[in-house]
Amino acid sequence: MQVLIEMKDIIKVFPPNVVAVDNVTTDFRKGEIHAIVGENGAGKSTLMKVFYGLEQFNQGEIRYLGQTVRFQEPGEAIARGIGMVHQEILLIPQYTVWENIVLGAEPINFLGVIDRQRARQMVQSKIDEFQFNLDIDAKVDDISVAARQKVEILKLLYRNVSVLILDEPTAVLTPQEIPQLFNELRRLRDHGHTILFISHHLEEVLTLSDRITVMRKGKKIATVQAEETTKEELAEMMVGRAVLFTSHREKSNPGMEVFSIENLTYVDGTHHTRLENINFHVREGELVGIAGVEGNGQFELVNSIMGLIRVTQGKISVNGFDITNAEILERRRYISFVSQDRGKMGAAVKASILENVMMTHHRLNPDFTTWKGLILNDQFARQFTRQIEQQFAVVMGNQDNPFRSLSGGNQQKVILGRELLLDTPFLLLDQPTRGLDVGSIEYVHETILKMRELKRAILLISADLEELFRIADRILVLHRGKIAADLPTDQTNIEQIGYLMLEGKEKNLAKEAN
Amino acid sequence: MNIFTGLINGMISGATPILLAALGGTFTFYAGIFNIAMEGMMLAGAFFAVLGSYYFNSWLMGILCAILGALLMALIFILFAVTLKTDEFVTGIALNLFALGATTYLMRQIFNVKGAFSNPGIVPIPRIHIPLLAKVPFLGEILSGQNLIVYLTIVVVFLSAFIIFKTRFGLRLRAAGYNAPSLDSSGVPSASIRTWSLIICGILCGLAGAFLSLGYVTLFSENMSAGRGWISLAAVILVNGNPWGIALISLLFGFTDGLGLLLQQYMPSQFTSMVPYIATLIALYFYSIQARKRKA
Repeated sequence: MQVLIEMKDIIKVFPPNVVAVDNVTTDFRKGEIHAIVGENGAGKSTLMKVFYGLEQFNQGEIRYLGQTVRFQEPGEAIARGIGMVHQEILLIPQYTVWENIVLGAEPINFLGVIDRQRARQMVQSKIDEFQFNLDIDAKVDDISVAARQKVEILKLLYRNVSVLILDEPTAVLTPQEIPQLFNELRRLRDHGHTILFISHHLEEVLTLSDRITVMRKGKKIATVQAEETTKEELAEMMVGRAVLFTSHREKSNPGMEVFSIENLTYVDGTHHTRLENINFHVREGELVGIAGVEGNGQFELVNSIMGLIRVTQGKISVNGFDITNAEILERRRYISFVSQDRGKMGAAVKASILENVMMTHHRLNPDFTTWKGLILNDQFARQFTRQIEQQFAVVMGNQDNPFRSLSGGNQQKVILGRELLLDTPFLLLDQPTRGLDVGSIEYVHETILKMRELKRAILLISADLEELFRIADRILVLHRGKIAADLPTDQTNIEQIGYLMLEGKEKNLAKEAN
Repeated sequence: MNIFTGLINGMISGATPILLAALGGTFTFYAGIFNIAMEGMMLAGAFFAVLGSYYFNSWLMGILCAILGALLMALIFILFAVTLKTDEFVTGIALNLFALGATTYLMRQIFNVKGAFSNPGIVPIPRIHIPLLAKVPFLGEILSGQNLIVYLTIVVVFLSAFIIFKTRFGLRLRAAGYNAPSLDSSGVPSASIRTWSLIICGILCGLAGAFLSLGYVTLFSENMSAGRGWISLAAVILVNGNPWGIALISLLFGFTDGLGLLLQQYMPSQFTSMVPYIATLIALYFYSIQARKRKA
């Protein structure tokens, strides 16, 4: 295959001295799906951004179609047929699909009026060409995240882009939507398009791509053929050491009951029953996982445990105390909580690391304040932050830096540190590894298992079935607000849980026998 | 002329400056600018209209100077809020206060008067008599014989709606307000769209000012915009920028304005001049109730 893009000795330094891309030489061929993998901060996005003109590289040479190029801004790249779909989707929710696609390159008549008919026709023909299955007149606000991503891709195809750069496109998709995206990308490749695909999800990369470039700490480690490598090999190249995909799980030995939910029902403001007659308990030293397709009541379950919504009926208790209608601060004496959204509920991203570490503690632990709780004890808080930094191996600069200056994995470590050091009997973990890279996931899993050994009762909500099978003792399946099954992990398998998640009931074995 | 046609004509001339300024404001509203500077732009327009008309002995030059004066305000706003990215609200406040101080000072320096400047040398903008419409029974007195700017305003309402909802510029204009990064990434700099929206706003506010000082009356007085720019802002926000809605609301305010003048025969003018502002508060109250209903 013909080499389309050649990068030679690319160096990108962010002032003052962060070397994001360190002497990278690689090439991309016409008509291939080429994955660029690496941990967060490995430089894979930066490498693509300097190519696309979003950032300027300091040294090196990029050749595209045999010519030396250096794009000053993305517009120049698009004009040469190169387009990038960013992680955050940049569309206008109030506009229809076709309006979003033509925006910036609208067909007009002599009066400057948009030629609606021609615009819609041009968009529709692109959709038909690549079988994208989209309603061009739908409002973007009303369509799914997966469909919005298709609109982003179409926006580039409409501008006749033949090289597509996708920055972690699967991060925003549900597991069901990913295969569809992959089919569309393969179809694009078969039409002669070249796809550069940034990811840290190794299984995805292996199923989708033709070649894989691995990056670590700004350097290129290797470029390999997808069929000639394995997940373990890629992970080792990414992290720089062997990664265990199966955690060593001691047989659990649960003690007395710590957390229990009895007959919990929640009906929301629009009279929809979101949770119906939920019953379960978690014992000390036990890790209970909740599986389910997103939107089947996980959100409401977490919110009713944390006191963010008032349950309609039922009882929630920890260590025998009824907390069903308790104040949130009261609940926090018993519950450590890692929310699924680090940037919104888990932390105040603009506040400093120090301030984020103090949160909750400053109300519950008298050591954090003096003068009867009126004045914060800065010295103690700093000492406590250092403790988290060391104990949880957080890579942080100054404690006074904003929280958002940390990488995703380090943010999660700080939150975990803050929550786990609350010393509560019960841990509620809502998707604690979402958006983290393999190295960080491994670390989080180890930490959770350590907590289990320390006799904490743990409830883990996860969309990742492999995660549940790796560390949970028992798996509950949530389906349409009801608990569809409650199975010990060693007596079930991924297929069975997957079926229960979708159907809410066991596969009818008798029927199958017929 | 009976009370009815008097009231309607009062409504029309009261509504015109508010409507023009609000249409200017709706362009910036759609572009995503929190623009409160219509008041200052209008006041500058009113002053320069009188200046131009007096010195050149021409109402046309008056209008031209009004537009240039208001544009100057708009350009200051662009320099600070768009180019230097200062806070729009603070910039707007500063601009409004600046316009008030500058026009008062310039009037005292140039014309050597305090309070108001009126002079037979100021040429007003003519009223247009349309021969056919004038003969329409009963409505003739309303349809014909209005100020040139009134007819112009009607055209601007249609034109605004057309530009905002049908043209390429309109699509990009609304995109700048809905989600500017999306527009930027589509290859259209949102800053240039914002700049254009402010220029349009300046032109329309200049016309509004010219109507105030060369149409509504023929003089310039200190602070003669008297909060009309703020009412136009309220009108824009009330109907979420829809030009037709703005026309309707402006007529409503114009009506209360005319009503206030009529009521002056019966109560002190300090009370009657409160009428438009009280109407604004009432409108806001009903709007908030409706908005709450829509959310639920």
